[in-house]
Amino acid sequence: MWRDGQDGSDEREEHEERLSVAGNETVLAAAERAGVALPFGCRTGACATCTGQLLDGRIEHARPPRALKERHREAGYVLLCIAEPRSDCRIAVGADVQAELVSNPWR
Amino acid sequence: MSDAQQPDDTTAHTDHEEHDTEGPGYATPQAAIEESEPEAVAYVMGLYVGTDVDAPDFLGVVDVDPDSETYTEIIDRVEMPNRGDELHHFGWNACSSSCHAEGLERRHLVIPGQRSSRIHVVDTKNRRNPELESVIEPEEVFEHDLSAPHTTHCIPDGQILISMLGDADGDLPGGFLALDENFEVDGRWESPGEIEMNYDYWYQPRHNVMVSSEWAAPKTYYPGFDLDDVEAGNYGQRLHVWDWENRTVEQTLDLGEEGLIPLEVRFLHSPEATHGYVGAAMSSNIFHFYDSGGEWRAEKVIDVEAREHDGWDMPVPGLVTDLLVSMDDRYLFFSNWLHGDVRMYDVSDPANPRLADRIWAGGHFGDPAPVQDRELAGGPQMLQLSLDGERLYWTTSLFSSWDNQFYPEEAEQGSVMLKADVDPRNGSMRLDEEFLVDFGDLPDGPARAHEIRWPDGDCTSDVWQ
Repeated sequence: MWRDGQDGSDEREEHEERLSVAGNETVLAAAERAGVALPFGCRTGACATCTGQLLDGRIEHARPPRALKERHREAGYVLLCIAEPRSDCRIAVGADVQAELVSNPWR
Repeated sequence: MSDAQQPDDTTAHTDHEEHDTEGPGYATPQAAIEESEPEAVAYVMGLYVGTDVDAPDFLGVVDVDPDSETYTEIIDRVEMPNRGDELHHFGWNACSSSCHAEGLERRHLVIPGQRSSRIHVVDTKNRRNPELESVIEPEEVFEHDLSAPHTTHCIPDGQILISMLGDADGDLPGGFLALDENFEVDGRWESPGEIEMNYDYWYQPRHNVMVSSEWAAPKTYYPGFDLDDVEAGNYGQRLHVWDWENRTVEQTLDLGEEGLIPLEVRFLHSPEATHGYVGAAMSSNIFHFYDSGGEWRAEKVIDVEAREHDGWDMPVPGLVTDLLVSMDDRYLFFSNWLHGDVRMYDVSDPANPRLADRIWAGGHFGDPAPVQDRELAGGPQMLQLSLDGERLYWTTSLFSSWDNQFYPEEAEQGSVMLKADVDPRNGSMRLDEEFLVDFGDLPDGPARAHEIRWPDGDCTSDVWQ
């Protein structure tokens, strides 16, 4: 798991955490079990607060990821509250990853 | 000395008996102005959701008593038991609508998590040190196929009504959830199918009417604002006029393109009034709604022009995100969150608001650091006015994911709470440069700040029967 920085810079800070995830466990639940704090909100796949970006590996969403649009899913964004790994995964996480989903349309 | 200046409390007590007000609140809006003490503490929603700060959201207690040694400080924080709630709007267990209900007290705050759908009850018996009393877990809410709690009003006789923006999946339709006087889920208030989108609501019981507004499905607005969703019709533009007793929609008013994303709904406070206002955030217009002899109508009465911003692609809307009406029903205040101004309108003629004054503070067009050199990194947003109408306060955060789009620096700097002194006689405001509550300077890290309430009722809580 690749941890995004808190410094607000555009560069994702390379701070890595390794987690082992049990079968049918979500990434968020595994992170909580390991004492790694990830952002989250609804825990049902509706709100995208827990958005990560899958860099390597395969995940399955346990429920439809309603908060993600097709363009987000195609770009590898996943919802960690409902994402269950199906292989070893590398995932960029943190509040700045969520902020990549939308931009200021007037700017 | 006139009778009204009697210093002893027998006069107030006698008045109480005359008006048969044994319950919480005030007999009339004018009584609220006369009888209330100036606010000494403010309750403010504080948020860490959607940041990398590993802490739950909290109810902040802000000292707003100018004679206190801890004036403008956050003197207490009631942490919620879980992270990830997105505390947003909140309300009282009782207000002036229960004025005749003996034994009820305005004492418990009902504080929903907008993202978590968890509902917290906080006891404010000790005003400066409130305590979490009970929690309704999200599963109990999802059971009624509802989620995303927003506006909390008490309704007469101790019940609580909460507007719910989505179904259990964060999709449409939303609806309303009722809690009983023990703060337990009573069930869905209306029959499913009355509305699709929901947001804010206000009821005016003497006229058996409630008006509700529309944001969008939670799955649409939760992740952030996407202009494609506006084009796809995924955002609201309608008001729903309800039969309050029957809990049915009697009339739906389509505000059209000028009324996109109608958010806060404010009736005038007089129980006799059949006038109110709603702010269309996206279109940045204020609509006046009113009863024209059995039929409700809504008309645009204030139009905030979009503005060109250096280096930006498109003119920027004001984004009217909050509004309120003074307790004497003479003034309407609203915030343009993206532009950075707070406006004050004379609404003594409700259909023809007249701009009285405005203040620029932050936003994308105002002074970026108008108070004590503090960079605001946000615009004026949630407003609250003292009951006497002489002090207007506001915070700067809208919604965590939307803040990240429009004011990304707010996550690192935290929100602020500011204040203006209002002169209702002369229709003017002045920014109080001595007043700054900094939510950027807290032990766990910078926090966002959202809705504000006073312990003894305020201009966005109280309804009269």
